[in-house]
Amino acid sequence: MMNDFIQNISPSINDTIRSLSLFYPEIGIATGFILVVLADLFFHRRSPQASFMLTILCLALVGCLNFSQLGYPAEAAFGGMIIVDRLAVVFKIIFCFVSVLFVLFVRYNQSLQNSSKGTGDLYSILLAVHLGLHLMVMSQNLVMIYLSLEMVSVGSYLMVGYLSGNPKQSEAAMKYALFGAVCSAFMLYGMSLLYGFTGSLEIYSPQFASFLITTPFASWGLGLIMLLTGIAFKLSLVPFHFWSPDVYEGAPTPVTAFLSTGPKIAGFALLIRILAPFQPFNLSGIDSSIFSMTTVLAVMAIASMVVGNFGAIWQNNVKRVLAYSSIGHTGFMLMALFVFSASGFKALIFYMVIYSIMNMAAFMIVDEIEERTGKQNIDDYKGLGKSFTVLMIAMVVVLVSLTGLPPTAGFTAKFLIFSAAIEAYNLSGSALMMIVIITGAISTVVSLFYYFRIPLNAFLRTGENQVTGIKGSPKVYITLFLVFLLIFFILFPSPIQKLL
Amino acid sequence: MIPLSHFMFISAVLFCLGLYAVLTKRNAIQVLIGIEFMINAAILNFVAFGRFDKATGGGQMFALFTIVLAAAGVAVALAIILNVYKHFRTINPAKIDSLKD
Repeated sequence: MMNDFIQNISPSINDTIRSLSLFYPEIGIATGFILVVLADLFFHRRSPQASFMLTILCLALVGCLNFSQLGYPAEAAFGGMIIVDRLAVVFKIIFCFVSVLFVLFVRYNQSLQNSSKGTGDLYSILLAVHLGLHLMVMSQNLVMIYLSLEMVSVGSYLMVGYLSGNPKQSEAAMKYALFGAVCSAFMLYGMSLLYGFTGSLEIYSPQFASFLITTPFASWGLGLIMLLTGIAFKLSLVPFHFWSPDVYEGAPTPVTAFLSTGPKIAGFALLIRILAPFQPFNLSGIDSSIFSMTTVLAVMAIASMVVGNFGAIWQNNVKRVLAYSSIGHTGFMLMALFVFSASGFKALIFYMVIYSIMNMAAFMIVDEIEERTGKQNIDDYKGLGKSFTVLMIAMVVVLVSLTGLPPTAGFTAKFLIFSAAIEAYNLSGSALMMIVIITGAISTVVSLFYYFRIPLNAFLRTGENQVTGIKGSPKVYITLFLVFLLIFFILFPSPIQKLL
Repeated sequence: MIPLSHFMFISAVLFCLGLYAVLTKRNAIQVLIGIEFMINAAILNFVAFGRFDKATGGGQMFALFTIVLAAAGVAVALAIILNVYKHFRTINPAKIDSLKD
């Protein structure tokens, strides 16, 4: 019995050693995590910003390592646990960008900086979550998928409940943690069923898809839907979106900005990884007469766009409006996945880059205004255009971009997604695809109503008490840089497109 | 030798019990216990299926990782619930509703 295993030892050790060379960025993050924890422990009093500097350095280093991996051919590592291919590397570069913005956001956020807890732990949690995000986009094994998803989830619960300074923050953290744990338990049970039917944890092994389809539909359909539940929760797709408005409102604003970008983008990468073995849907048998994966995704996309965009109209709190709008954006991004090819992924990744710039900028402006005036509701924004002219003009550009109108990069992004969806319609010719496209167009028009309530109040209505005097804060400069990027990328989209 | 179907039946029952607790209990810690039930149902499945996967032992390995992760998740959730109790003096999820539409 023992001898059977002994001959496997040296090949697996060789494989592990070979795999380490593909794992430099992740090793860098893990080292950075330990250093940040130590720096926060020992140098917190002497230099309070040591952990901030270390985190930025670590993220810059990881970004460079990621760029160096761009040219690598696709290669599986660690016995097929993870795969390093171009798609994964591009996603990892986006995460570095988002994380750097988040770290800067935390650095210049007053409520986090002034809290007695300090921000050192927040940076170390961020690095742990960042490692989880990296693993999420590379995983091709059910164990790895579950591990990385939980790594991101548990870290996110901690981030939301980090301050717990007021009832709203702790309530948001509790809702997020309980809802998230239930969804991940669902996903785990789905995984155990899939493992039972296929006898394999590797979703790319040939037996996975073929064995799965040969079992009765009632069993594999259940397993697959349960698996999708966990991912839909991370993406806040309808009907698993209930947590997102509450958590976005309650969490500290930098954390909200991070949650609406990083984990969501990773969720899409995971969705691509899980759906890839079943491509094309109609040949693999997953789209049969009783069940159709395409229909499930299409219905989710339509429902998310409708709920997100119509839900946002009735909101007054700016962070809730942005939460609902991000649900709508997720449904919209799902349209790109119906063409499961390089062109669909390109549209999706371009949209994600622009979306993360827009969302980060929007939350930074909201945070800046909240810090200076304490105003969180759209109705209170009356007359703010006079005292915060530059900031509100930046807000208008970001909102125009979120709607998807020229002259901002949001237009290019929406245009690419629509062309991918129309390509899918031409290929399949199904009426459902047409409905998805029409819903996308209508929801874009609807989104005008709620986005433009903010400039309407800020510029065209006058408020009672004027707040005067605004000194340029670092956050304003970062926002202006992001707004510049939004206008830059519609003129010169080539830097992003070269990446893809 | 106990047949595989027995394990699957027990685990399905365990999962449903956990879901019932999550949906009906009016105490955040009892909800957490329900979630533990659901996770343990999945673990039972993994171990039972893993018997037929002797070559790679994937099911057993997955079960071990899950046990550790479930403990980590519960630790975080309990800390958060403690914070909620400090602010609200209750841990009934139905009564904690300062955030709503």
